[in-house]
Amino acid sequence: MANTEPYRTPNESNDTPVKLELRDTSVSFSMDRGESRVLDSVSMEVYDGEILGVVGESGSGKSMFASAMLDAIEAPGELTGEVVYHTGDGETVSVLDLSPSELRTLRWESIAMVFQGSHSSWNPTMSIRGHFNETLSYHDFDVGAGMDRANRLLSELYLDPERVLESYPHELSGGMKQRALIALSLILKPDVLVMDEPTAALDLLMQRSIIALLDAIQDEYDLTLVFITHDIELVADLADRLAVMYAFEIIEAGPADHVLLDSSHPYTRSLVNSTPNLETPIEKMQPIPGEAPDPVNVPTGCSYSPRCQLADERCRTEDPPMIDAGNAHESACHYVEHVDEEIPLSITDVTVQ
Amino acid sequence: MKWLYKRLMQFVITVFVVMTLSFGLVRFMPGGPMDYIRAQALANAGTGTTRTLVLETSREALGFTPDAPLHVQYFNYITDILMGDLGISIANDEPVSAIIAEALPWTLFLMVLSMTIMFVGAIVIGAFMAYRESGRLDTGLTSIFAVLNSTPYYIVALLLLSYMAFELNWFPKRGRVAPFIEPGFTVEFIYSALYHATLPVISIVITGIGGIALQMRGNAIQILGEDYLHVGRLRGIPERRLTYRYVARNAILPMYTQFMIKLGTMFGGAVVLEQIFTYQGIGKYMFEAISMRDYPLMMGCFLVITLAVVTGVFIADMTYGLIDPRISTGGESNESF
Repeated sequence: MANTEPYRTPNESNDTPVKLELRDTSVSFSMDRGESRVLDSVSMEVYDGEILGVVGESGSGKSMFASAMLDAIEAPGELTGEVVYHTGDGETVSVLDLSPSELRTLRWESIAMVFQGSHSSWNPTMSIRGHFNETLSYHDFDVGAGMDRANRLLSELYLDPERVLESYPHELSGGMKQRALIALSLILKPDVLVMDEPTAALDLLMQRSIIALLDAIQDEYDLTLVFITHDIELVADLADRLAVMYAFEIIEAGPADHVLLDSSHPYTRSLVNSTPNLETPIEKMQPIPGEAPDPVNVPTGCSYSPRCQLADERCRTEDPPMIDAGNAHESACHYVEHVDEEIPLSITDVTVQ
Repeated sequence: MKWLYKRLMQFVITVFVVMTLSFGLVRFMPGGPMDYIRAQALANAGTGTTRTLVLETSREALGFTPDAPLHVQYFNYITDILMGDLGISIANDEPVSAIIAEALPWTLFLMVLSMTIMFVGAIVIGAFMAYRESGRLDTGLTSIFAVLNSTPYYIVALLLLSYMAFELNWFPKRGRVAPFIEPGFTVEFIYSALYHATLPVISIVITGIGGIALQMRGNAIQILGEDYLHVGRLRGIPERRLTYRYVARNAILPMYTQFMIKLGTMFGGAVVLEQIFTYQGIGKYMFEAISMRDYPLMMGCFLVITLAVVTGVFIADMTYGLIDPRISTGGESNESF
C-alpha cells in the first residue's frame, strides 16, 4: 500500500495538513497456535480539524487502531510500523521513538483518548475532582486554571460541575460518567481526541446527545477527532470522512457520504445493506453470510474473498491494494468499477435522526 | 443517621442475647454451677449448713439468689453485669471483673500485635506476588502459603516452644514478662513483654499470613487488569501513585472487614494459645475456669470474648464508610441520574 504520501481531498483546500498518521502499522500477539495479527499493515492519515469515523464489526481491529495512535498497546501486544504526529508548527514527532517521559507528555497533552465502558475508566475510590486534579498536577499544569477549565468543560457537556466534581464514580449515571470522561480527556487541551466506542453501553438518546455535544465541542476547541464505532449510522452525519475496517485492515476510506451512499467495496455495501433502517423494508435487509476471519489465520489474497459474491481466483491469491475510486475515495478491491452494478445499495440517502 | 441507629440497636440486642444465654446456661445446666455452689457451701459449713449460707454464696458468686422468682433473678443478674459486677471467681476468690481487667490488656496486646504484623506482611507480600504473577517467586510462595494456611496454629506453637524455647533456650518458656520487672512504660518492661510475646505471635502470624496474602494477591491481580489502571497510565499518572492510590487502596478495602472480625474471633483462639505458652491472658483464665468449674469466671470470659467479636464487627461496620466512599451512606443510595 503506497500510502506514505498523504493524499489530498480535492474538495477541501489542498493545504489541509495531516495531523496524525499511521504508516504500515501492525499489532501482533504471539500465541501458542501462531502469531495473531490484530492490526495488519494499516496506513491512515487523520487531517487537522476533521472528524474521522472508523467503523467495523467486533473483532475487526478497531480498538487496536485506536490504541496504536497513542502507542498504548499493552504487553504482550507488539506495535510495529510508524506513528507520526504533526505538531502543527511544522514539527513531526515519531511517536514510537519517543522516550517514556516524552510519551507521557504526548499522551493527554497532545493526543487524548476516551475509552469504551466509562464505568470502568474511573478509579472507584477517588472522587471525580481527584482524577482531574492528579492529571493536571502530574503534567505540571496550573491546577487552579485547570479546574476552571474543567468547570467550563463540564457545563458545556450539560453537567453541574460542582456536583459532579464532588461525586464519586458510582454516584453518577452512565451518561454522566461518559460525559465527565470526555471532559477529563480534554483537560490538558489536546489537539487530537481518539474515542473508542464512546457511546457503547449507553441508551440511544444518550448516544445521540453525546454525538451532538461532540460536534459542538469539536468546533469550539478546534479538535481533530477519531471516532471508532461499530454503529455505522451513528457516525454517518458526525464524521467528515469514514474508514471501514475488515479483518484488521482498512478496506475503504473516503468522504463520509461517498462511503455510505456510493461505497466501492463489496463489504461496505453489504454492511450498509444489512444496517437496520426505518426506510428500508425488512425483506430487503440482508445479513452477510459467513463470519469474520480469525486473526491467526487470515485468508490469503483479499481477506474478504471467502464471503464476497464478486470473488474470483484473482481475489483469492492477490491481496488488492488501495485503489483510487475517485473523489478522494479509496477502496481495497480489484473490482471497484463493478461493485455498483453487482451489489446495489438499498438506501439512497442518509436520513439519520 | 437512621442507619447508625439501626446498627446500634443490633449491637445492643446481640449483647443482651448473649447475657441472657449465659444466665440461662448457669441457671438450668444440670450438674451446673448451682450444684457446685451448693456442694461447696455444704463443705465449707460442715454439717450444720444453712439455707442462708447457700443463698449467700450463690448471690455473691453468680449474681443471683436461687430462691427469688425467675424474673427478679434475671433483673438482678443483668443490673449487676451492667454495673460491672461479674461475680466472684470461685477458684481465685477475686472479683471476676478485676481478673478480666488485669488479663484483658495482655491478650489484647498479643492479638493486636500478631494481627498487625500478619495483615501488614500479607498485604505487602500479596501485592508483591500479584506484580510478579506466575513468576517463580509467586508459584513458590503460593504452595508454601497453602501448606502453612492448613497447619493449625497450636501445632506450630508446640513446635516453636519445644525447639526455640526448650531446646535452644532462645526464648522464654512461659509468662508475660520476666519476673521482678516493675510494670510501666520503661524500655526494660516493654522489651521483656515483646520478648515473651515473640513465640505466640510467630505461631499466629506464620499460620495466618498465607491465607490473607493469597487473598490480597487475588484482589491485586484483579485490580491490575482493570481499565482504570490502563487509563490512569495513559493519563500520565506515575507508576508509584498507581500502585498505592489505585491498586493497593482498592485491593485492601475488601480485607478491612475481615481484619476487624478476625480481631474479635482471635480471642477465642487465645484460649489454647495462651495455655500452651502459659501466658496469663483472658484465654488462659477461661481455660482454667473451665477445668476448675469456676462458673462466674467462665461466664465473665465468655461475655468479654463475645463482646469483642460483636464490637469488632460493629466498628468495622461503622468505619468502613470512612475508607470506602461507596459505602459512605450506609446502604442509602446516593445515585443520581
